[in-house]
Amino acid sequence: MSPRERARIVVLLAPATLFLGVFFLGPLVIIAVYSLLTPGLYGGVEWTFYHWNFGRIFGWADGIMEVFQPVYLRILLRSLSFGLLTVLVCLTLCYPVAFWIARLPQRWRMLFLFLITLPFFASLIVRLYAWLLILKPSGPLGMAFTALGMEPPELLYSPAAVILGMVYIFIPFMFLPLFAAVDNLDRALVEASADLGATPFQTFRKIIVPQTLPGIAGGSVIVFIPAVGNFIVPDILGGANGLMIGNLVEQQFLSSRNWPFGSALAMVIMGVVLVVLVTFTSRAAKAGAVR
Amino acid sequence: MRLSLGLFSLLFFAFLYAPLVVIIVYSFNSNPVNMLVWDGFTLDWYKGLFGIGERYLDPNQRVIYLESTPQLIAALKNSLTVAAVTTSFSTVVGTATALAVARSRFRGRGFCGGAMFLPMMMPDIVLGIGLLVFFSTIGMQLSLVTIIIGQCTFLTSYVFIVVQARLAGLDPRLEEASADLGASEWVTFRKVTLPQLAPGILGGGLLAFIISMDDLVITYFISGAGSQTLPIFVFSMVRRGVKPEISAIATLIILASVIVAATGLWLRARGERR
Amino acid sequence: MSDLLTITGARRAFVTPEGRAVPALDGIDLAVHDGEFVTLLGPSGCGKTTLLRAIAGLEAIDAGTIMLEGRDLTRLPAHRRPVNTVFQSYALFPHMTVARNVGYAMEVRGLPRAEREAQVADALAKVGLEGMATRKPSQLSGGQQQRVALARAIVAKPRLLLLDEPLSALDRNLRQAMQIELKDLQHRLGITFVFVTHDQDEALTMSDRIVVMRSGRVVQAGTPREIFRRPATRFVAEFIGETNLLSGTVEGGAAGPILRTSGGLSLRIPPGTPPGARATAVLRPTDFTLGAEGIAGTVTRAVYRGADLHLSVAPEGGGPTLGAIARDNALAPQRGARVTLGYDPAAIHIMEGEG
Ligand SMILES: Nc1ncnc2c1ncn2[C@@H]1O[C@H](COP(=O)(O)OP(=O)(O)OP(=O)(O)O)[C@@H](O)[C@H]1O
Ligand SMILES: [Mg+2]
Repeated sequence: MSPRERARIVVLLAPATLFLGVFFLGPLVIIAVYSLLTPGLYGGVEWTFYHWNFGRIFGWADGIMEVFQPVYLRILLRSLSFGLLTVLVCLTLCYPVAFWIARLPQRWRMLFLFLITLPFFASLIVRLYAWLLILKPSGPLGMAFTALGMEPPELLYSPAAVILGMVYIFIPFMFLPLFAAVDNLDRALVEASADLGATPFQTFRKIIVPQTLPGIAGGSVIVFIPAVGNFIVPDILGGANGLMIGNLVEQQFLSSRNWPFGSALAMVIMGVVLVVLVTFTSRAAKAGAVR
Repeated sequence: MRLSLGLFSLLFFAFLYAPLVVIIVYSFNSNPVNMLVWDGFTLDWYKGLFGIGERYLDPNQRVIYLESTPQLIAALKNSLTVAAVTTSFSTVVGTATALAVARSRFRGRGFCGGAMFLPMMMPDIVLGIGLLVFFSTIGMQLSLVTIIIGQCTFLTSYVFIVVQARLAGLDPRLEEASADLGASEWVTFRKVTLPQLAPGILGGGLLAFIISMDDLVITYFISGAGSQTLPIFVFSMVRRGVKPEISAIATLIILASVIVAATGLWLRARGERR
Repeated sequence: MSDLLTITGARRAFVTPEGRAVPALDGIDLAVHDGEFVTLLGPSGCGKTTLLRAIAGLEAIDAGTIMLEGRDLTRLPAHRRPVNTVFQSYALFPHMTVARNVGYAMEVRGLPRAEREAQVADALAKVGLEGMATRKPSQLSGGQQQRVALARAIVAKPRLLLLDEPLSALDRNLRQAMQIELKDLQHRLGITFVFVTHDQDEALTMSDRIVVMRSGRVVQAGTPREIFRRPATRFVAEFIGETNLLSGTVEGGAAGPILRTSGGLSLRIPPGTPPGARATAVLRPTDFTLGAEGIAGTVTRAVYRGADLHLSVAPEGGGPTLGAIARDNALAPQRGARVTLGYDPAAIHIMEGEG
């Protein structure tokens, strides 16, 4: 490498490295540190090592200063299951549509792809507000039930509402990678499978799913990650039963002012995300090596 | 089979668009008592937003908080300021990084590319509270500046990804041809690489702008008392309860973002066709 | 021989993006006998692939019927037809090993693993791929992939095997070797083959019967010799190998009828064509004997083709340039040389009119 080239690389990389090094890594390191510090009595921290922040979540605590409460673990598990459910619903909704769009003539494809991405650009909070309107007992859904002479069900402030809201806002995240995979699917393989006597369902299970697996996995990861740490959706649509770990974190920072505990919760979210990411990328790398 | 797929897709698109339609319809509903019961067409909620309606002056009517018009304008101004600065910064830095990663060979190149994905993949709440703790630790007052810094972390990553994708699609032989014809590196960059890259940079910038205008979670943690942005303003309104004026703001936001996004996608489609 | 496959009046039209209907199959009637090797031959776009896909059930037909052993297949979905296909692109499942690819037809029928494995090993042995069972398709050469596709299609012992230009991706030598192997395999298995190609040599070498197609119709069906020696139309004659086509009017003569072309060339033709009729004579370049008594002319071009020279000869009396073949040796005529082209009138095939 010539010195000139080296200088060019340094100049090009320096801004991002410096900026992200300070303002991205910095915050992550600080919450990692905070999660191991002692909470101060009136907010703030004391700079002494302390592992009960995590103990409170996972089941060890001294029982005096900090008490283990299974509620945190329960909320963590709930967040994971909400994330998983969101992924599953997104997948079930997007998969058939991806096939439908992939078979359309070029011009129509562009239009429908555009229509799928468009709501993504209409503000997040606006889209959630829409569901707040729809799910209200006096909203369109509730009125439909009343008109049919039925008692409107409790839609709002339920786990279902949270999952519905997350599905709605994350659909484009699932759709685009999935569509790329479905669109790349070699139709000859599907035909060959039918030709060899596989029923449509067998073809789906043995050929279509494995062949579109990269898209399924990619879409699932990028939906799961923001879903599991979400706090806006449960904040707006979820009641007490829809509380997620993101809401806990927010509470610790903005109302309880227990920053070390909040940081510990955030570290847990980050841990989950890292596990998912690492599993996914190593699997993808392995699959890539075989292909 | 084909038919049922089509039917399913129809429902899917209805699911995507019905909520937006609901907002827009309700924003014109004149029923002041229950905004979800249709009463008649009105523009009052839009007028109220800008403080020009009659209901705005009548304290007995269901009207949003008296101070809200100036607040709304201020929030919009804040959002635009933040978006303008973050878009410029992240576009320049993200593009520079993409150029380095895509066009030079150096050790740690793969690592660099992978690391640039992290800010985007990091859950918003983790980054948000991280920035909050960070700023308070170094004693920085929360303000528009902290919002700008905070947003730039992940926006840079978005721009990087868009520009890098475009760069990967460019034919490196064109640059070699230019060098072969005697152009210096700089001239080659300016006359060959940059024009081809322009749609990618434009697209990345536009994406950054839209995301910045819409960012809620991270901004929520690092905006100070006087530095509310538009999404946060709407969020706090929504938290206080459903009001017809929110539907009016929401409709305007939908309209604006659809126009911006459509222009962007149209520009991109045009750029690709060439 | 009994008919295994009978197609009657098969039609299929595709709609172009502009909304125009293009007939890909325009009323196909075809019978394939049991145990036969039938080749569909025709120029690009004539509907060969469409016909094959219609037989396999991968493409629906708008009208007509497809019967296999007296059973109507027309409305049967692909997976219920006792027909397997070797695809042009092979269509091997990339995420499965060679063994699983080959065993797929039995896997989806729910055969027990042990039985499957034995048959897979057997099929792989038949195509000479022992020891490749655990590889992925991407780890094979083009020729090996082709064999896997073949093994996969024959393992379930279909009544009918369809092959869509299976050899077109192979290089010349491998292709010739595979032509012979395929033919052998067909003999050993006793499966009926319908083979698609647009390579006339391939068709002539391999087939029991050739079906020549043009714009969605069958132009002629017959043995390779019939197709080559007695083409039904000018199109068939020109499509199968180099040929001389001479059109003219038949005149009676003492030694038999004579065909006089507009250029003034006269050609002795076999008896049977009434004088005064318009007719076209088909003469292959190999039909001419150089130096024997016949048509005199001048060599206008001599193209070296390895073992022999391809000559273009302008007849002295005028008329179209004729193609002939000479052995490439010291005596071979050069450009400008005068030659005579002898021929046997009995070998000439006469088509009515302009052919
Ligand atoms: N799915 C399709 N949509 C529209 N037109 C089609 C489709 N499949 C085939 N055709 C048209 O039908 C005609 C016959 O096509 P077919 O593929 O059967 O030709 P072919 O004889 O196999 O040609 P080749 O030798 O090039 O493979 C062509 O004009 C082709 O353009
Ligand atoms: Mg074909």
